[in-house]
Amino acid sequence: MFDTIIDPTVGPPADADRGRTALAVRPADLAGKRLGLLANTKRNAGAFLEEVAGLLESRYGAKAVITRTKPSIVHPAPPEIIEDLKGECDVVVVGVGDCGSCSASAVADGLQLEAAGIPSVVLVSDAFRVSADAMAALQGTPGYSYVTTPHPVASLTREGVHGRAEQALPELVALLTGHGDDA
Amino acid sequence: MSTVADPVADPVRYAREAIEHCYAQGWTDGLPVVPATAADVEEFLATTDLAPDAVVGEQGHLHRRVTVAQVAVNAIMAGCRPEYFPVVLAAWEALQGEPAAGGGAWQSTSGPAPLLVVNGPVRDRLGINYAGGVFGPGFRANATISRALGLVVRNGFGIKPQELEQATQGLPGRWSICLGENEELSPWEPLSVLGGLEAGTDAVSAMLIRTCEYVDNRHTESAESVLFDFADTLGRLGAYLGVRHSTGGLVLGPEHAQTLADAGYSRADVQQWLFEHAVRSRADVRAAGKAEPGSDPDDDTPLAMMPSPEDITVVVAGAANAAISMVFRPFGWASWSRRSVPVRWTTQEEHP
Repeated sequence: MFDTIIDPTVGPPADADRGRTALAVRPADLAGKRLGLLANTKRNAGAFLEEVAGLLESRYGAKAVITRTKPSIVHPAPPEIIEDLKGECDVVVVGVGDCGSCSASAVADGLQLEAAGIPSVVLVSDAFRVSADAMAALQGTPGYSYVTTPHPVASLTREGVHGRAEQALPELVALLTGHGDDA
Repeated sequence: MSTVADPVADPVRYAREAIEHCYAQGWTDGLPVVPATAADVEEFLATTDLAPDAVVGEQGHLHRRVTVAQVAVNAIMAGCRPEYFPVVLAAWEALQGEPAAGGGAWQSTSGPAPLLVVNGPVRDRLGINYAGGVFGPGFRANATISRALGLVVRNGFGIKPQELEQATQGLPGRWSICLGENEELSPWEPLSVLGGLEAGTDAVSAMLIRTCEYVDNRHTESAESVLFDFADTLGRLGAYLGVRHSTGGLVLGPEHAQTLADAGYSRADVQQWLFEHAVRSRADVRAAGKAEPGSDPDDDTPLAMMPSPEDITVVVAGAANAAISMVFRPFGWASWSRRSVPVRWTTQEEHP
């Protein structure tokens, strides 16, 4: 009956749906694996990744080799950062998605790393699940799995951050080694 | 009481059903929209020389782009008249040109709103309010031009509240803040001149703001007393983000602007005074838990709360009936790009 009403959501015809991103092949374990960290500039993001790296080194035998910090908290990492990580790492941890836009862009980063063939895991604060999921769907990969940590993160002390890293560790390792849910 | 008529008997009943249809599709911001048809879109497109499929907005990280035709559809839905459309396009361009708007603003927890400022004769031609009650409501052009941009973000970029848009609280008046500058009662040059255009040009300037706070100061003739009052609000700790400065601007009521001008203050003088006086002690900043990590706990040198004089944008709008002004708070660390966008009328017609 209202077929003549124009749909305001229809954009340029070239903007077609994107295909699903296949996850990179997972290593069986992290022993001796070169670990990369992709941080944003959200308060405690760098500290969180450092704590995670420490635990992955001491308990799983990974070796942290490179940390890259994104120039923009909002946008996915630029190609040169992805290239750096691709060149030097076997696995990457991305985080922390702890704001409206950076939760979504962290998921986009996880997906672009997977597309580049690097097994990765994204840390998101649980207040931003909806935004992270919406970005995964927008990127053609609904249901993409990431690790959540309780909100807030920015106000935590270093000890608090360490505790969160401990909490997140089992799921994080499972997703990196392919023992978690398939995306 | 009138009888409820069947739509066939009373075609007006179709209007509500059509509006309900738009709600059901998820196309509205919560208020009713005007359903757009192809004929309506043609009418709007006739007011611009831009091609209907020209891309005028992009959120690369979301893989979303919007076209002129799509802006037209959303402008119709917002309640615009066709002759507003060139102003909507200029407002949209001005907004897209603000670095903050490309930087995740629409997804941000701070949930900012555009503040649009219109200069030039177009204000009177289209009935864009610049006098009493300038922040609205009650004026169709002001209300619908700003609303159109919000519908483009929602429908064009696909950024909806509680989905990709993660505003913690948002703010009253998001998508409804469009002011004409009261050039007639402003002692200074139009804002659009600071934005790089000649005086008298129809133009839109855009900023992103988090809120407005009034300053009511009507019992003094002292310019410095009024400025002191503004500086106090500009220096409010709640707006200070820590680590880096937040910023602030002023929509001066004409009376305050006149008081300042009468005392010999240019716009730049006002900015300089406010920059120098919008300061807080570092002890205050520490007391609010906003000290930089690792900063000296005994340091008590004053801290400027504004990044620079130029970043304190000053606009004049409202009625000359009370000495009231509004401090506004730009989003993030950004201020205004100081780039105004001219309204482009079609070549056939100089203006409506």
